[in-house]
Amino acid sequence: MDTVSKEKSIPKYINPYFGGVLLGLLLLVTFYITGRGLGASGAVKSAVVSTVEKIAPVHAEESTYYSKFISTDHSPMFNWLVFESIGVFIGGLLSGVLFGRVKKLRVEHSPKITSKTRIIAAGLGGILFGFGSQLGRGCSSGAALSGTAAFSFGGLLVMVVLFGSGYVFAYFFRKLWI
Amino acid sequence: MDLINTTIMGPLIPLGQIASGWDFVIALLIGIAFGFILEASGFSSSRNITGVFYGYNFVVLRVFLTAVVVAMIGLLYFNYMGWIDLNLIYVVPTYINSMVIGSVLMGLGFILGGFCPGTSYTGIAIGKIDAMVFTGGLFLGIFLFSELFPALESFYYGDSLGSATIEDVFGISNEKFSFIFVIIAIIVFYVTWLIEKRVRKTVNPYKFE
Amino acid sequence: MNRNYILLMIVIVVLAGGLLFLPQKANYIQQDPEKLMWDIAQPTRYITTDEVAKMIIEKDPLYQLVDVRADYDYDMFSLPGAYNIPLDSLLTEQSDIILDVEDINTILYSDDDLKADQAWVITRRMGYKNIYVMKGGLNCWIRTIIQPKEPKETAPITEFELYKFRQGASIYFTGTEISLDAGEKKTLNVTRRKKETVAEGGC
Repeated sequence: MDTVSKEKSIPKYINPYFGGVLLGLLLLVTFYITGRGLGASGAVKSAVVSTVEKIAPVHAEESTYYSKFISTDHSPMFNWLVFESIGVFIGGLLSGVLFGRVKKLRVEHSPKITSKTRIIAAGLGGILFGFGSQLGRGCSSGAALSGTAAFSFGGLLVMVVLFGSGYVFAYFFRKLWI
Repeated sequence: MDLINTTIMGPLIPLGQIASGWDFVIALLIGIAFGFILEASGFSSSRNITGVFYGYNFVVLRVFLTAVVVAMIGLLYFNYMGWIDLNLIYVVPTYINSMVIGSVLMGLGFILGGFCPGTSYTGIAIGKIDAMVFTGGLFLGIFLFSELFPALESFYYGDSLGSATIEDVFGISNEKFSFIFVIIAIIVFYVTWLIEKRVRKTVNPYKFE
Repeated sequence: MNRNYILLMIVIVVLAGGLLFLPQKANYIQQDPEKLMWDIAQPTRYITTDEVAKMIIEKDPLYQLVDVRADYDYDMFSLPGAYNIPLDSLLTEQSDIILDVEDINTILYSDDDLKADQAWVITRRMGYKNIYVMKGGLNCWIRTIIQPKEPKETAPITEFELYKFRQGASIYFTGTEISLDAGEKKTLNVTRRKKETVAEGGC
């Protein structure tokens, strides 16, 4: 019984080095066309800004942070990163369909913890990451990946500290994963 | 002495070479390619991603470092051939205090959540609830930051080095840095290959989803 | 380890290493041809012989003169303190040292405008800044500074003032005595029509 299900569930992934080459070429093309690299957290930021603007427009305009991203001609969602992130979703969907990974809604977790634990951890992780990404001027795709490829010191800094601190914290939270 | 004959000089959009309606179409297409590559490499699974911290799956390092190396070398060759003007490429500005703390928080969030924003979008696409929760958390986290911004403002802008490039800070030319980076990447790949062989023997091969 | 991986690694290392050994090429600022045409049409690159004379006499520190004629012409006669960069040597490293100075105005000249204009277009494409052309070249220099022509009596006062200046300049540069006017300027009470043209002092 166990061996059958094991064979069924070995998913097909592309060779990571190949994936890296593809990603690097994509990054290069993105630089060539747009002058900026890839990014991801920016789209969520735009979502936050437009939500706040809809719900509490006065507060948004008064705030020093939101007002920077609000413009009168168009919604803050009308920006490059938002469209790119929508594309990321679609691309993920395409690949998932191609490789047969789009299945029923599920929570992925180590067998040593419960789904509930995983959900709570994911939520907390997201909050921390979101907060940190603003301080860090980008996330792993925007600052670390694209920043370092463009020879920015800030990008390199984020990359080193992000992964470095990840390794430090990994020890304390190993129950979550292994 | 010959002046390099340029074909089309990049970066295209900042130099006005593309009609304005196309920006967002291009963004979408680039995003689709990005998402596809991420998901196909296995980044839609949080357990794959965190494997890099525990030694059982190094896909993150492999994809990440390879991508940076390819992009760096590509940029330098493009720049040499006159196809792109490296000076016009966006450099992530440096704010030491803010970025260091931010990166530490992101590292913790990475370990807890097992995702980063880009990969969480692909996770949502294949139906992972934990990815959806993570993205929701991102929303809250950014919201929290925006609300607290007035209190954090001076910290946010502190210790700025402006648009410092690696050359500015370390004095190494871009070419030398990319070469050093390649060597480091190769060493990392070799070491992680060894580690993975040993760890996989002791850790039960886990079921992916 | 798979043979393909080793091959890939070698390829990447060679590519990265190749970058280290690429010849260092100067970053030529590419000029858009249309912009260049526009710049060529602008008269602002011209500087008059009088202005050049003034700079030399006043020992203005912010200028340098460059004679773009052949070296034997330069040896025969040239302006005081001028460098010699013949047209065909404009793109050498020694010329780059002279031409690539920030904040200094470089004034090119030749016998007339021809060579100097050509040199100007080339230096403009190379991206050097603050390059000018002395209008009329050395021929005009001789006609205005060394052997200035006395203005007609009906000429405006500004022309007489300019003539005075040129006479003084002539003495400065040639060191010879030139008989000065007795200094009588007849002030005619004539209502002058306002002329739009400024006395340019060109040839």
